[in-house]
Amino acid sequence: MKEQATTDGGAPFRTLESLGVEARHVERPTKEREAQQVLARAFKEKLTVLPVGGATAISAGTLPERVDIVLDMTGMEGIAHFDISNLNMTVLAGTTLNGINEFLAGQGNGFFLPLDPPFSERATIGGVYASNGSGPSRLRYGAVRDQVLGVRGIDAQGGEVGFGGKTVKNVSGYDLTKFLIGSAGSLCLITAAIMRVYPLPAASSICEVTFPAIGELEKFLQALRSSVLLPSGVTVEQVLGAFRVLSAFEGHPLAVERENRDFLSLAGPFGGKGEAKMGREVMEEAIRGAIEPVGDAMAIKVTVPLSEGPATLAGLKDLAGPAKTVLFAGNGVILVYGADERIIDGAKRLAAHGYVAPIRLHRSLLSTWGPRVNPALEQIVLRPIKEKLDPSGVFPPIL
Amino acid sequence: MEKEHVRDALQGIVGKKNVLWKDVDLTVYSYDAGLVKGKAGLVAFVDNSDQVAQIVSFLCKEGISYVARGSGTNLTGGTVPLDGGVVIEFSRMNRILEIDIENERVVVEPGIYNLTVQNALAEKGYYYAPDPASQKASSMGGNLGENAGGPHCLKYGVTSNHVLGAEVVLPNGEKTWIGGKALDAPGPDLMGLLVGSEGTLGIATKIVCRIMRSPERVLTMLCIYSSVEAAGQTVSDIVAEGIIPATLEIMDNLVIRAVEASVHAGYPLDAEAVLLIELDGLTDGMDEQMKRITEICEKDGVVSYRLAKDVNERNILWAGRRGAFGAVARLRPAYLVCDGTVPRTELPKALSEVKKISEKYRVPIGNVFHAGDGNLHPLILFDDRDADEVARVHKAGREILKVCADLGGTISGEHGIGTEKLREMSFVFKDGDIRMMRGIKQAVDPKGLCNPGKVIPREEARPR
Repeated sequence: MKEQATTDGGAPFRTLESLGVEARHVERPTKEREAQQVLARAFKEKLTVLPVGGATAISAGTLPERVDIVLDMTGMEGIAHFDISNLNMTVLAGTTLNGINEFLAGQGNGFFLPLDPPFSERATIGGVYASNGSGPSRLRYGAVRDQVLGVRGIDAQGGEVGFGGKTVKNVSGYDLTKFLIGSAGSLCLITAAIMRVYPLPAASSICEVTFPAIGELEKFLQALRSSVLLPSGVTVEQVLGAFRVLSAFEGHPLAVERENRDFLSLAGPFGGKGEAKMGREVMEEAIRGAIEPVGDAMAIKVTVPLSEGPATLAGLKDLAGPAKTVLFAGNGVILVYGADERIIDGAKRLAAHGYVAPIRLHRSLLSTWGPRVNPALEQIVLRPIKEKLDPSGVFPPIL
Repeated sequence: MEKEHVRDALQGIVGKKNVLWKDVDLTVYSYDAGLVKGKAGLVAFVDNSDQVAQIVSFLCKEGISYVARGSGTNLTGGTVPLDGGVVIEFSRMNRILEIDIENERVVVEPGIYNLTVQNALAEKGYYYAPDPASQKASSMGGNLGENAGGPHCLKYGVTSNHVLGAEVVLPNGEKTWIGGKALDAPGPDLMGLLVGSEGTLGIATKIVCRIMRSPERVLTMLCIYSSVEAAGQTVSDIVAEGIIPATLEIMDNLVIRAVEASVHAGYPLDAEAVLLIELDGLTDGMDEQMKRITEICEKDGVVSYRLAKDVNERNILWAGRRGAFGAVARLRPAYLVCDGTVPRTELPKALSEVKKISEKYRVPIGNVFHAGDGNLHPLILFDDRDADEVARVHKAGREILKVCADLGGTISGEHGIGTEKLREMSFVFKDGDIRMMRGIKQAVDPKGLCNPGKVIPREEARPR
């Protein structure tokens, strides 16, 4: 097993090293059984294990100073089962989002998985699940918690576990399928996920409108939320003092055409000018361009109540200067790239009614981060659960 | 429990008149809409979250168990006090605290009925998606505890997808918040864990929910079929076409007759099945989608269909569906709901097996189900004074759940495990899975006082 699963380090080593984490050894299992053996050995020998997918949101959890075994999950890749009639698929944890969507697009009349966090070419489904990654399309389709039906995994002693299933409704036992979202590998190794899939819509479009000032933007976004329009995702970026809004629409061609018209009409009275373009590729490309940074910048996620999104975005832009910031309007999620200590402190002040979470940060910034959840939850809920499920600390710390 | 001492303490917290302690009163709180009967030690009516925190803190110190109760409509015994514990009764915590249109959230207390919230939101042009058939009587706290579903969950998801935060009293009596109006609280999804935990990990005292703009247009169509299988085929064909309606609900002949006798919804008595289809969203393109759906219905041999002309007709059609459980209750003294779920395409097989089980155990079974998401509700009708029939009902119910599990589904879609499906947990979970759930329960509620005996099967003593 060891010979098959060990690599020379490669990308996971370099990523962790750049973030200030010392990694000693890498295992790259290709089968569940191999991953199970690694964890069973780690439990027996009291070694620490850090599961890593595409390493695009590696700081979502607590990065330890030193890791005995980096579990490179990209070897566990592929679609284990696609149930076209029941609109679900079982996908191995190391499969990238792009890989999944390329597969789905080629099935029947075409399907897709509406999860669109940044770096979809590298982000794996296991990593997106573990870090609670999301993109603009959560406005219409929801986030991981709305798309995942079940998970398979391996516990801290190397035992197989599974939760949820293939049905949309499932209230059998505790919903660990949801609980493990965002747990950053601290409680269980995810080896496969059962996801909902959707038929590709008959029509897609992207509308682009620019507003001159934040006051008009805020009024427009409130008017959009109050309207009957159903955008799939809305992004806002501040560019040279103005606010550039992209809004994606999907559905029946007649509905999409009407939404394009109404969206542009709605923007007009607030000084918004722009245009609509039809087509799925152009829509996806525009959204991707809005949310993805250049290179592997330090990144944080800020979430606020919906109405505070524009002002928080503007405040963060003042702090971040040329660094990229983008708001998923309608969700109150803001990604900030190029984050440093000053920006993080400012973000925490601006998001007084929400949260600030690391996505990709050097350990030195994480070590001064402070508590991520309130003390009652940490002491009465999360730490006792961690001690119960992972008594010897095989997995990384829980927050 | 030293009853007088505990009663005095609870009366000190909620007031003398808000604690029930006489046997005749306690009997009413010793059962719920399920079949199991327990024994309540005391009942305390709470008015605010501070009282809940004080009660839980006191009971934790005294080592006395407790169960939070909304309306008791869960149907699996989830709110039955099994060991003489205290019932914390939430019907007076029934206020809407805030309707925040700007942020698309509503904040409610747990005792408020689902329908009361819906009506308040409708006045402002908004709605809350989960709409259990029991919404007239079921509380939002109970909906959270059970992860309630409803007909519209096919398109919009269940309670878990719409509850974003809660003020919670933890099992040690500490009051805190999980989530809130903003999305993505850091760390594991604690809200996801709490929803559906049937009050075994803490008690929600304020609930923050997502609300959505009412759709521009709603179209509701009633389709009549000469077989349940044909109706089921239409459901699969509609979804395969890429159309996700807001609802796809089926009732069989036994339920149709019961509903007509009770609600007079206009369902034909000789129909073997009716299928309710509802589309919602933008007006544009909807007629074309409904036209395509009628073509599918015709291909599958629909006997007749009719579109609701207006909101009144729509409400009558829905009154039949929402009144189905109450209607069948008129046929026999009691019924057991088997809330199993199967992948949508396995519905015909599951229904065929249910029919065989009905014959095998000589018990009438009516079917009303959320066909779009494969959530069955075989209603086994019986006389609970007949011990032999009761025994056959339990065997039939267990076999139906086994069928669901074997077809790739699960043992509960929206009513929970409670006490009544504990044995069946092994149909869908292995020892390691249940061990992990039990570990969470022990970690959060080390004294095991928070609604004990529910959801997680007890650890069996291993033979030496």
